[in-house]
Amino acid sequence: MGAAALIGWPAWAQINEQRNSIEVPGEDGMIVRSLRFLDLETPVDYFDSWLTPVSHFFVRNHMHEPVELNAGDWRLTVGGEVDKTETFSLRELAQLPVHSVVNTLECAGNGRGLYRPQVPGIQWQKGAVSTARFSGPRLADVLHRAGVKSNGKHVMFRGLDEVPGKVPPFIRSIPIEKALDSDTIIATHMNGEPLTKHHGFPARSLVPGWIGAASVKWLTEIKVLEAEFVGNFMSPGYRFPNQPVKPGDSVKPEDTHVLTGLSVKSVISGPLEGSGLKSGRVTVHGAAWAGEADIVKVEISTDGGSTWNAAALRREQSRFAWRLWNYAWTAKRGDYVIQSRATDSQGRVQPSDAGWNPSGYLYNAIDEVKIHVG
Amino acid sequence: MSGKTLHILLLMLGAFTMARLSAARNVATPNEELPAGAMQQKATTACLECHEARIIVQQRLSKPAWTKEVDKMVKWGAVVDANDRDALIDYLSTNFNAEQPAYSAPRTATESKPVKGTPQKTAR
Repeated sequence: MGAAALIGWPAWAQINEQRNSIEVPGEDGMIVRSLRFLDLETPVDYFDSWLTPVSHFFVRNHMHEPVELNAGDWRLTVGGEVDKTETFSLRELAQLPVHSVVNTLECAGNGRGLYRPQVPGIQWQKGAVSTARFSGPRLADVLHRAGVKSNGKHVMFRGLDEVPGKVPPFIRSIPIEKALDSDTIIATHMNGEPLTKHHGFPARSLVPGWIGAASVKWLTEIKVLEAEFVGNFMSPGYRFPNQPVKPGDSVKPEDTHVLTGLSVKSVISGPLEGSGLKSGRVTVHGAAWAGEADIVKVEISTDGGSTWNAAALRREQSRFAWRLWNYAWTAKRGDYVIQSRATDSQGRVQPSDAGWNPSGYLYNAIDEVKIHVG
Repeated sequence: MSGKTLHILLLMLGAFTMARLSAARNVATPNEELPAGAMQQKATTACLECHEARIIVQQRLSKPAWTKEVDKMVKWGAVVDANDRDALIDYLSTNFNAEQPAYSAPRTATESKPVKGTPQKTAR
């Protein structure tokens, strides 16, 4: 069929020369930000179902996926500031009570490609965000089995990512309070199926409402620490300036803080940018999320932000999940900029300008699409 | 149709074709490569051992930003001869700066059948 594996490429990524396309098994129509290592973005028009099918769920890998992963041999160790280091097999994890969380997972760098001036990193546009039902044992149950000592204040996750060259390993930590939250889990399943390799098989941490990097894939070690883990992916990685920054300026590490919860944000999933529509009834639709907060309002403007009208929030909701919304608009002929603006239960409002920062994190400016009604 | 009208139409057609060709040049191919230049081979050796060219070609950075990136990557194991560092930074910042049109990313095939479970073994 003309498909050829490429030297040095993942065996599962194939170029179909006749159809000039990239075939990645299990991934359906995804935007390719990178194949090696794998970074796939969800097209915004896929934001039409509350739960994102796994084949449409964005993929963010910092490094190469583990070459060999065998469910039978895999072990998770829990150590550090605990009474007794514990080791769990996948079978032993499965014997703990199962908890499910519908979570909107968003890469901290989602929207990086929209900042000006541009900053280095994967140039995500709007789709490094998806929603799934994650299931597995509570992290708290696993930690209690080992017994957290009173000086244990942070919980570190280490993944099995294959580290190229001298790149620092992918290790992150979260404060003990979030680790013990009843919705923080070690996910083994996603939408009712075992995790696929691209999503962290056989287990990942799942830290709901927080930036995606907190949810470490191919989890192999949990360590209770007295202080935040010190490493590249805690600092300088995944930190945000304490004060607004002039676009293009650099920021000292001591003037930054570690990223935790997601911002308030909405994205228009239709009509799509550049669409030509017929006059009459048009449904503007999309998704809105706010990390640990709830979406209370999504407003739409069709006149460049002079007037705003409430969109209808769709019925499906869960504490850490996005809300889908629609807005019925009677469109007359002309050229329009349609904008969406979300407000959350903490009173945060999606801003007209996202706060530029040197790593391009947490882009959440009011979304807009330009369309023509003829 | 007058000769003048035909001439204008041909000019428009030519402009349209040029625009299409120009747009076509900006369309990414599935198999991304680093652009031609004196440093193409050295950049390929130094950078693509760990990641594909697409990660580079989607960047639109200033020379100071490329300098930081190259120095970070050398710290992380990229093999760049000290004598080549400045030329590599020039090569990257000449080809991938804010003046270049945005990178247009391809998509995976839509006919891929979702794979249940997990592939047990993959290679890089």
